[in-house]
Amino acid sequence: MGSAEILEIYPLKIQRGLTQLSFLRIPTRPGATRPLFDLLEHHGVAVRFLIEGCAGDYNRDLIVCIDSEAFTRLEPELKKVEIRMQNQSLELRHSVAIIRVLGPHFDIRPGTSSLLFGALQKADITIFSNATTITSSMCVIPDDQVETAKRVIGRTFDIPKKKK
Amino acid sequence: MSEQSKTLDIMRRIGAPRPEKIRISGILQSPLLASLTLLLPGGDSDPTAAVLEILGEYDINIRFINKYRDSVGNTSLCLCIDADVLDTAISALDVHEESLGIRDFVYHPKVKVISIYPHKQRPRVAERLLTALRMNGVDPLSTNNASSVVSCVVNNESVDQALVCLTSAFELP
Repeated sequence: MGSAEILEIYPLKIQRGLTQLSFLRIPTRPGATRPLFDLLEHHGVAVRFLIEGCAGDYNRDLIVCIDSEAFTRLEPELKKVEIRMQNQSLELRHSVAIIRVLGPHFDIRPGTSSLLFGALQKADITIFSNATTITSSMCVIPDDQVETAKRVIGRTFDIPKKKK
Repeated sequence: MSEQSKTLDIMRRIGAPRPEKIRISGILQSPLLASLTLLLPGGDSDPTAAVLEILGEYDINIRFINKYRDSVGNTSLCLCIDADVLDTAISALDVHEESLGIRDFVYHPKVKVISIYPHKQRPRVAERLLTALRMNGVDPLSTNNASSVVSCVVNNESVDQALVCLTSAFELP
């Protein structure tokens, strides 16, 4: 990728007013995370963001983001979910947002993800979590850093204006 | 027999309930990839951007990233790259291991990313994916969602098994 080339991306999609829940060190077994997903399904809560990773010693970490309003509704039931999932801890991050970058083809242009992460880091944006696939990258960041992140990403990539 | 295998065996013998199939549009699989999982310092010294920059300098494409903070405050960074550049990536990261503060480093030389779509942020799609795979002895190395898909990284030797069980767990057109 040439250094002068500015990659075009789709308009940013931003979801605000979210809570990130990190269920850490869940023992690996089939259906271990079912209590959480059943609860979300039962209450019609959308999973805005999801990552699961290996935590060592046959444990898994599961990170999800849901609307803060939904979190408030579900909070009284989370203790029961934790007991069933047997996670070691649950960490909460309130007032987070997801900023989605779509279109730069992370898979065929070396350095594209570094452009994004580097630009955000230089602007002191905290990336709590990130999920990147071949065409999209979703960053969970503090809600009060959204405007700065928009400006930074707008300077790093070419974002066409939305048609009115 | 491990505890997990015992649990699986018991569940199979007593007959796990077969929930109603969820309709999806399709299942995709990536070309052959390699996965790298790095444990990095968290907080202000998080070197994720530097890791990605180094790999970019070596023309290494990154097809999948999972990054989050683990239970002790480290950054867990899982990356998938083309399988044929794994040695290059390992050499590049080895050179910078100390300056990046890499605390642990695990790799799988042959993996694929399996994605099902649409996800539409439905909790039961992710749950069915994870449970169906683990019920059939396939343990995804890493899982994430994007705008319309939910994807998991699976060891190449388990890909056929994973596709068979997902085909039976979901209703395809």
